[in-house]
Amino acid sequence: MSANSSTDRRRPQQSRASAWAGRIIAGLVIVFFVLFFVVPIIWLLIAPTKDGRELLLSQPFAVGGWEQFAENWDSLVSYQGGLIWTWLGNSAFYSLAALVLTLVISVPAGYAMALTEFRGRRALLSLTLVVMLIPSTALVLPIFLELSAVKLIGSPLSVILPFSFFPFGVYLTYIYFSTTISRDLLNAARIDGAGEFRVFAQVAMPLATPVVALVGFFSFVANWNNYFLPYVMVPGRKAPVQVGLAEMLSNVPQFNPTNVASTMISLPTLALATIVSVAPVLFIFLFSQRFLVSGMTAGGTKE
Amino acid sequence: MSSQHRRQPTRTTRLLAATASLAVAGLLAGCAGGSTEVNSDYGFVTAEQDPSSTITVWADASRQPSVEAFEAANPDIKVELVVDDGSAGGSATFQTKISLADQAGEGWPDVVFSTQNNDASWASKETNGVQAFAAPLNKGFLEDDFLDGFTPGALDPLTVDGTIYGLRNDLAPVLFWYNKPLLDEFGYTVPTTWEEYQELSDKLAAKHPGYFLGSVGDSFAGTYVYYWSGEAPIFTLDGDTFSSDVTDPNSVKVTELLDHMVDNGTLIQDSVFSGEFVANADKLVGIPGPAWYAGALFQNTESVNAQPGQWGTSAPLYWDGEDKVTGNVGGGTWFASSHSKNLDAVKTFMEFITSDEAAAGSGGLPAYASAADAWLAKQAESGFFDGDFEGSVSTAASSVWDGWGFPNFSVETAYAKVIVPALAAGKSIADVAEEWQTEMENEAQVAGYKVG
Amino acid sequence: MSNNTELAAAPVGVRQPAGARRRTRKPDSAQARIGAIFSSGYALFLLVFGIIPAVYAVYLAFTKNNAFAGVDNFIKIFSDFRFLPAVGHVAIYVGVWVFSLIILVVLLAVIVHAVRVRWLSTSVRFLFYIPGALAGASSVMLWLFVLDPSVSPVSFLLHALGNDSFVDTVRVDQLPFVLAIIAFWTGAGGWIVIMYGALNNISTDVMEAARIDGAGPVATAWYIQIPLLRKWISYMSIMSLAAGTQLFVEPRVLSQASKGVVPADYSLNQLAFLYAFKQSDFNGSAAISLVLLVVALGLSAFFVFRGGLFERE
Repeated sequence: MSANSSTDRRRPQQSRASAWAGRIIAGLVIVFFVLFFVVPIIWLLIAPTKDGRELLLSQPFAVGGWEQFAENWDSLVSYQGGLIWTWLGNSAFYSLAALVLTLVISVPAGYAMALTEFRGRRALLSLTLVVMLIPSTALVLPIFLELSAVKLIGSPLSVILPFSFFPFGVYLTYIYFSTTISRDLLNAARIDGAGEFRVFAQVAMPLATPVVALVGFFSFVANWNNYFLPYVMVPGRKAPVQVGLAEMLSNVPQFNPTNVASTMISLPTLALATIVSVAPVLFIFLFSQRFLVSGMTAGGTKE
Repeated sequence: MSSQHRRQPTRTTRLLAATASLAVAGLLAGCAGGSTEVNSDYGFVTAEQDPSSTITVWADASRQPSVEAFEAANPDIKVELVVDDGSAGGSATFQTKISLADQAGEGWPDVVFSTQNNDASWASKETNGVQAFAAPLNKGFLEDDFLDGFTPGALDPLTVDGTIYGLRNDLAPVLFWYNKPLLDEFGYTVPTTWEEYQELSDKLAAKHPGYFLGSVGDSFAGTYVYYWSGEAPIFTLDGDTFSSDVTDPNSVKVTELLDHMVDNGTLIQDSVFSGEFVANADKLVGIPGPAWYAGALFQNTESVNAQPGQWGTSAPLYWDGEDKVTGNVGGGTWFASSHSKNLDAVKTFMEFITSDEAAAGSGGLPAYASAADAWLAKQAESGFFDGDFEGSVSTAASSVWDGWGFPNFSVETAYAKVIVPALAAGKSIADVAEEWQTEMENEAQVAGYKVG
Repeated sequence: MSNNTELAAAPVGVRQPAGARRRTRKPDSAQARIGAIFSSGYALFLLVFGIIPAVYAVYLAFTKNNAFAGVDNFIKIFSDFRFLPAVGHVAIYVGVWVFSLIILVVLLAVIVHAVRVRWLSTSVRFLFYIPGALAGASSVMLWLFVLDPSVSPVSFLLHALGNDSFVDTVRVDQLPFVLAIIAFWTGAGGWIVIMYGALNNISTDVMEAARIDGAGPVATAWYIQIPLLRKWISYMSIMSLAAGTQLFVEPRVLSQASKGVVPADYSLNQLAFLYAFKQSDFNGSAAISLVLLVVALGLSAFFVFRGGLFERE
């Protein structure tokens, strides 16, 4: 690392100025994008404090009143006798059950494809990619037929099982294992006499916390937000909250004008329902961020 | 390669073959059919009946009180209500789920409610070898006496080639609403014809700018309220042939009326549910619109929020010297499944839900005449609306123009796609009328209709 | 250290040092066994929910009422008056979307990663992610308002771009950009989190070495970080290509919010949906899906091979 003395002298001034310029630009970029992502959310958070009329007529960021919020909340929880809670419970059940199953089948598979050699490895990888590229519209009917043939339509399994097929997660795991764990590490364990399963469980898994958290989280969110599959498989009281929201939408005059009837939901109540439906996902993200992004800085990979 | 590796592909292949054959067997099982003889009592092929089985009803949240009323009045019939979105807003829930059930050969409900009234167009047809979902009702299943009790014209959207495939839940005929104090203040009378409506618009534009007479921003308004009421044949169906004629004299009259009023500012382009409309509701002098404007606009605190006696109703507008017909904006429908295993219970349900005063109409104007009369009397009791509420609504309900078609696609999509953006860009409807007609014809072709 | 005789005696688990390789490496049998076992669960699900449905879709695309129909279904969809416009819509959308996603996500991930203040970094990532929770159906009402200049929180922006009404904002020539913005808004946060984690995997020694060498943040990003993110970036490109060609949710949401002004047949995937569920033509629907798949595969192949997705260190 021989450094030219003249460039050394030049560098400190240059780098200080450009470093500051760089920081300002970076700061501006961050501020711009924070606003970009957050402004509509702020609007959404303020919406339930107004009534339908105010929502249309007042300033977007003007806050309504607590009384109005209480009214909207009341409207939401009394809809169909507290159906919102049933929906949330269903969502939680389906997403969590699928999450567990997803992790059980995906993490070992990703490990296997990244760090072991077996016949069909490449085939699995390519097939996974191909399947991920197939428009889901094409898969709905065959999956419906399969589940109907085993009489599962309408039962929770009809959503949990398809949810657990999460090729995106398998690929994440594959990429993670193939970029962060080296074979030398595993071979060291093998030389020490560890069986293959031990190598996986005691060497690879402890280092896999980030990807397990990532796959678990994304699986949970994808399942929580999935609309069409539960819409077709588990309608009515077994529906998750996304399907429920669409049902509530059909009672808002703005969206369903030609059939305005006895049950009317106002837009602010719908906004509140939307917030309630996304809150669990955000809470989980908030508390699991640490695990999601921690890298594997503990060496063991180099030299 | 070693023998170990040769084993694996065989194992995998066997697994693949086993699962594949299981899947194929499963798929084929769904295609197994039962008896194929038409049941002479009913006029369609019936499934094996089980009079004690639970009937499954798919309906939206607004029908729940009516369904509960049925359960209370018929405790011996077991009903399982699955609440969905009622096929609202283009979701086509009904058609989507029945498509899947047809493919699987099972999973049909016994009764379905739909907020759309053109579902009979597909539900009356056999698809891919599976019997049409909607059970024909006038071939022996329901009595003619009962079916005759519906307001004339109510069952038109559900009648295909003379066979009635469903029952109408409620009607939404177009009548004329007016703001009494404003009309009195300005010294005008309630218009009775479209020509008078246009004259009124000119007077307002000249002497009271800012006051308006309706909106063309909603796809349901332009099409159902104006073109249908104006007897314009822009959306007609004859058997399997669809036709749309924007050059017909009536169509041209409506187009010119709308363009004229958009030009002079008495028709706004904002939806009746938009902030603009709500903010200027006190400048609305009159508006042709469906019966449900009562609850959605005038009595709604978040919309027009009228005072008692401020708004009134009068008979629908018509072209001077022509038939006194009107349009219709919505109204839900009930269908009975031809695959049902408990047709007796379904019959009781269908009759109750459409004609019993406690349940019929589910908050709107019932389609069954006797229930409608009772509902109207009750509404008129409150005296909220000026004028002859009962009379106007009844007249409107029984004079819906029967020249409108109910194919398996909505008239609103072409209007929203072509007319709304054109108006927003400053063009007139006349400018894009041809394009509009072509769009509707294209949609018809894609939906499988011949264009004539 | 090891020679051939030792290796001959102990065939299990020992990797030959590169220099001494004499014969081709044979896959280790214990590894192969565990590899197969570990993948079996996933392989089963792949079969049931991926491969069989895909094969069935191919079957549907080439048949009609269970009889072989050759390319009839394809001819039918190609001559559908909605097909070409939909292709155009999706093409423009994918171009805008993939391009902006790759560039902006990497940029933002690198910048956020460079932020040393921990709580700031965490909060910014959280804020970026929030929209991701609002995918699909739940965001209908949000866009109904945000895209309407008369009630939108960003109305000044909309007006500045020449939009005076909701119908203006969603007009056809502007729609691909509006959809791309919506998709970016919901999708970027998740990818930023993934890229951030990937950046954390870059050993601090390497970063330190770069810093000592005098590389500024831009040089470090360009020469060190991004190359090490190659696999992740190529994965993100493929996924966004897939998501882009399969464009469905955003136009559907806007179609609902605009009550039909944005047509229900805007994208190819929506068209496939209409074929299946509105026209009861599952064969035509499968044909459209196959076309989409072939296109997506072709585009992805580029990224798979350029990005070395299948290689391993």
